[in-house]
Amino acid sequence: MATLNLQHIDKIYDNNVQAVYDFNLDVKDGELIVLVGPSGCGKSTTLRMVAGLEDISNGKLLLDGKDITNTPAKDRDMAMVFQSYALYGHMTIYENMAFSLTLRKENPNVIHKKVLAAAEILGLTSQLNKKPAQLSGGQRQRVAMGRSIVRNPKVFLFDEPLSNLDAKLRGATRREILLLHKRLAATMLYVTHDQTEALTLADRIVCMSMGHVQQVGTPLELYDSPANIFVASFIGLPPMNFFDVTVQEGKLAGDGFSVGLTPEEQHILGAYQGKEIVLGVRPEDISLGNDVSGTVSLNENLGMNTLVHGHIGVSDKPAKITAKLKGWSNYKPGDTVSFKFDRKHFFDKTTTNAIRGGK
Amino acid sequence: MSQDERTIQRDRMRFIKNTQSSGLCYLGILFDVFYFVSICKSDVGTYYYTYMIGISIVYNLIFMLAAFLASEGVKNYKKEYSYVLLVLGIIQFIRIMIIPMQAHSAVTLVNNVETQVMQNGQFIRVIIYLVLSGAALITSALINLNKCRELNEHLKTLNEQGA
Repeated sequence: MATLNLQHIDKIYDNNVQAVYDFNLDVKDGELIVLVGPSGCGKSTTLRMVAGLEDISNGKLLLDGKDITNTPAKDRDMAMVFQSYALYGHMTIYENMAFSLTLRKENPNVIHKKVLAAAEILGLTSQLNKKPAQLSGGQRQRVAMGRSIVRNPKVFLFDEPLSNLDAKLRGATRREILLLHKRLAATMLYVTHDQTEALTLADRIVCMSMGHVQQVGTPLELYDSPANIFVASFIGLPPMNFFDVTVQEGKLAGDGFSVGLTPEEQHILGAYQGKEIVLGVRPEDISLGNDVSGTVSLNENLGMNTLVHGHIGVSDKPAKITAKLKGWSNYKPGDTVSFKFDRKHFFDKTTTNAIRGGK
Repeated sequence: MSQDERTIQRDRMRFIKNTQSSGLCYLGILFDVFYFVSICKSDVGTYYYTYMIGISIVYNLIFMLAAFLASEGVKNYKKEYSYVLLVLGIIQFIRIMIIPMQAHSAVTLVNNVETQVMQNGQFIRVIIYLVLSGAALITSALINLNKCRELNEHLKTLNEQGA
């Protein structure tokens, strides 16, 4: 397989709109990198630049150490799987999977072996004589993957491949992609706006916003130690709660509440004494206790957990809070609940960056 | 070709259509069309205005429809369509004896001069078209019969292995 290096890559369109700013990434051999971010953050543009479907305005792209910045897409030895499958409706599944190799005028017997091997991997052997219209969305996406596999490319590129599938099928196909990655040990770049896909699939995640890379790290790093407020709010479901607080001696003072700090937290916030910071608390890090008192506005039972939505504070604009409590609860709107913050993240209010990674 | 390659080639037939046979069928239809547009030459008086040409037109329509349907059949390795093609192919050869040979041996008055209805050049041309059409259809049928036999044997082997 292959290594991929993206060095200081920019994308500036003809109308001077810049979609990607100084993108740097080293993809190791056999690594599955997920580019994640909201719509319009530049993740698909980056993928298309890697594929050769978009020009790279500035910077270099290296595949196995070889500069392919200006190499045409067809010569890059990469295979792309699109959200829309892009299958030929008049061809059978076998013909769809064999198509790229047929165009390359490969030996038909070799093509046959490759198609059967890919179909076996993807569980499509019994579907080979069918047309795409006769298959479900998940099966069609597997065909699109099979079409990539037969080419045996150096790098696989996935552009939101699961977005067209319903929730159940998405989960199943996601697991198939993961198994496929383990089986092929291929270098893969995967674009999604779904953080669940990112967290479950990725060896490393690249979180992007407005064309800038916000953080690169393992799923656990992004979840546990978000680099800034954007990453903290984007990764995790429900998203992290944020409160404006002032650092005081041994505690954080917010709007109508105060939270005690451990000695370690006090050490982290040593330089912020008397200053305003942003306190971040994940809903799953909130339990029933005596740190903060809130008023319930909505109670959502999920079976194993209950999402309790409410607000805390005494000002005109009280802060919203969402807590993911264990078990089944039956809070009514207007009920008062006391919460405890089991784990805290701290962010600089001006730069929005995490204060020493948050503990 | 090694035994392994031969087996793979047979296995491919499970997924690849028999375009060789269907292509030859289309060729057979094409040459028939060439034959038909070549046969009626204008300056021969009223020779062609008989019931024979009516039957020929109707047969031609039936031929094209049957040959096209058979081409779809052989494309999917349907053995029975090979027999249809064989019959159609043989009829193409028989058709040489009907209009072309009769017209070639007949004379008609054109401007009070005895003229051969179908002269040698035209005669040879239409015969070539019919022969090519018939040959294409018969070859298509024979190829399909052979492929059907190979495919059936292969499927039988696969079934035995599966069992």
